[in-house]
Amino acid sequence: MPVTSTVSASGKDITIKITGRFDFAVQNEFRDCYHGTSPDDGVSFTIDMHKASYMDSSALGMLLMMREHLGGNNANITISTSSADISNILTVANFQSLFKIS
Amino acid sequence: MNENTLTVLVADDDVTNRLLLEAILRKEGYDVIHAEDGREAVEVFERERPDLVLMDIRMPELDGYQATELIKAMSGDVFVPVIFLTANSDIDSMVKSVEAGGDDFLAKPYNRIQLQTRINALMRIRELYSTVRLQRNELIQHQKRLERERQMAKRLFANIIHTGSLDQPNIKYLLSPMSLFSGDILLAAPKPSGGLHVILGDFTGHGLAAATGALPVSSIFYGMTAKGYSITEIVTEINTRLKTILPVDMFLAACLIDIDTTTHTLTVWNGGLPPLLVYDTRQLAISLRIPSQHLPLGIIDGESFSRRVEVVGIHQGDRIYICSDGVLETQNRQGEMFGQDRFDALFESKLAPQALFDTILGRLSDFQAGSLQQDDVTLLEICYDQSSLEQRAGTIEEEAGGRGRLSAAPSSWRLGLTLTADLLKVLDPLPLLIQALMDLQGFRGQRQQLYTVFSELYSNALEHGLLKLDSSLKANASGFVEYYQAREQRLAVLSKGEIRIDIHHQPDAGGGRLTIAIEDTGNGFDVNSALLPLTENLGHAGRGIQLLRSICDEVTFQGSGNRVEVVYRWR
Repeated sequence: MPVTSTVSASGKDITIKITGRFDFAVQNEFRDCYHGTSPDDGVSFTIDMHKASYMDSSALGMLLMMREHLGGNNANITISTSSADISNILTVANFQSLFKIS
Repeated sequence: MNENTLTVLVADDDVTNRLLLEAILRKEGYDVIHAEDGREAVEVFERERPDLVLMDIRMPELDGYQATELIKAMSGDVFVPVIFLTANSDIDSMVKSVEAGGDDFLAKPYNRIQLQTRINALMRIRELYSTVRLQRNELIQHQKRLERERQMAKRLFANIIHTGSLDQPNIKYLLSPMSLFSGDILLAAPKPSGGLHVILGDFTGHGLAAATGALPVSSIFYGMTAKGYSITEIVTEINTRLKTILPVDMFLAACLIDIDTTTHTLTVWNGGLPPLLVYDTRQLAISLRIPSQHLPLGIIDGESFSRRVEVVGIHQGDRIYICSDGVLETQNRQGEMFGQDRFDALFESKLAPQALFDTILGRLSDFQAGSLQQDDVTLLEICYDQSSLEQRAGTIEEEAGGRGRLSAAPSSWRLGLTLTADLLKVLDPLPLLIQALMDLQGFRGQRQQLYTVFSELYSNALEHGLLKLDSSLKANASGFVEYYQAREQRLAVLSKGEIRIDIHHQPDAGGGRLTIAIEDTGNGFDVNSALLPLTENLGHAGRGIQLLRSICDEVTFQGSGNRVEVVYRWR
C-alpha cells in the first residue's frame, strides 16, 4: 500500500505514511486520510515520508489542499523525511514556511 | 412500405428456387426483390439498396462470387450481409465465398427455421455494426472539432504570450513542452528606463489547464513592465491575481529578474525554481547562485507574501542561467534524474562561454537518450551585453499607452504633486505619474524619454536629497550593490521629508513645452561638482545628469541644489 494512515489511541494524532512515489496516482488514497477530519477536531497530522522515493509538484499541490482543508494557517501538519531529494524539493518550494518539517 | 420492414434481395437464375425463397421470406414479414443473374443482382442492389442478400453461386453473366465482391465494394462502411446459397457445403466453394466477402451459407433444401435464425443473427451483427459506425463517426467529428479548437487556442496563446523580446543575439533559450500547450512560461520585456525584465515560470501540471494560468501572468508582466513598475511590484501583482484565480493545489514556481544596464545590477526574485546561476566568463566559473527564497506564486496572499528581492552586481559578458525543474528532472532509461550536481558540473569544465548553452542541451539529450519526456523543459541563457540590451530598450512598444487620448492637440495645463515620506516608503510614484501624463496629453512615442527624465529627477531627489546616499559609492559595480542595500534600509525608516513635483505644459510650435521642477526637503548637493565638464564626470554617478542634459533642452539647479528644473520640448 503506497499510502497508509494510523490513528493514535487518543484519536488526536494521525500519521500518514507514504511509500514509493508520492504523485498524482495516490491522490485519492491521500485525500481519504484527512478528508473526514475538520479543522475544529484538533487533530495533529504527521506525514511520514521516510519510505517515499520521490515527490513531484502535484504532490506539493496535494499538501496545499490538505492544509486548506484543515484550516489553512491553523492546520497542524508535520512532514517528516530523511531523504535529501525530498527535503530539497520542499526547500526549493519554501514549504517550511507553511508546514513543520522534521 | 413499412420503414422497419427489411428488404431482402434474392439472386438466383432458377425461378423455382426464387419463388420458394420469396414465399418463405414474405411469410416471415420481409419485402423481397429479386435478380435472375449476377449482373442484374448488382444493378438491383445499386438501385434498391436492400438490407440483406441471398446469393446463388452459379449464375450467368456474373457468378455469385463476382457479384458479391461488387456489392460489398458498393456498400462501403455499411454492413450488408450476403448469404450464399449452395447445393452442397464443399470446402472449396466455402473458402471462395468467404474470400468474396460472403457472411454465411445456406444449403439446399431450404429450411424456414434455419433461414430465419441465420437472418436474425446477421441482422444483430448489422445493428451492432451500424452503432459502432455511428459512434466512430461521432468520435471522428469530435476529434476534428477538438483539434481545430486546440490549434486556434494555440495560435491565440502564441499571440498573447509572445516571446518577441527573447529573439535577440545575446539570449538563447529552449522551450520544450511535453504536449501542445506548455505549463512553463518564458517572457521578456524591455524596461522603459533601459534593460530587461524576464520571467521564467513553471505551473503545477502540464497542458491546457496549466497554460491557461499563463494568460493573466503575461498581461500583468508586459503591461506593468512597459509602465515602468519594478519586479517587486510586478511579482506582488501576479501573486495576488494567481491567488484569486488558481485552485488551491495549483501554483506557479517562478523566477523574475531585472537586468539593469544603467546600474549594472541584476535583481532577482526566485520562488520555487532551481537556483539562478551567473557564470563569470573571465574566471570560467559560476560566480553566483541565487536559490529559491520564497513560496511559489498563488499560494499565499497579503502580508505574508514575501516580495524581498536580491540585488547583485553584474559584469559585461557574464552569463545568466535559469531553468525549470524539468531540466534537472530529465530522466534516463533507468529512471535516474539528471539532477543539480550533473548540471553544475557542466560549468566546471572550463568550456568556452559561447559553447555552454549548446553543450548543456547536448548533455541533456544524451542523458535522456530516447526515453520519454516527463515534464515541460525550459532553459534560458542571457549574456550580459550592455550594448545589445540597451538597443532593445529603444524598440519598446507603446504597449502601455493605449488608454490615453491618442493624438490630443497640445494644450495648456499644470499639475502639482507633493509626496510625503509615508507615501514614498510604500509606493514608487513614477509609473502612476507617467501614466497620468500619457492620459492627459497623449505624448505619443515620448513615453520612454519622459520616463528617463522623471526617473533621473526622482531618484536624485529621493536618494541624494531625502536618503542622503553618497553617490561616490557608485564608482564601481560592487559599490552599487552596497548603495542599493543602503537605499532600501534608509527608505524603510524614513520618517520625514517631502518631494514636490510641479509639471507645467504649454503648446509650442507644433508640439509642446513641458517644464518639470522637482524639489526635495533635503540639504541639496554641491552644484558645482555636478556641473563639471563631462570628461571629468564619466563614472556611474555622473551619468544621470549627462542623460538629462542629452534629453532636455534646459537643465538648471536651483536653491542649494535641492530643486532641479528641466524643460523638455516635443513635437
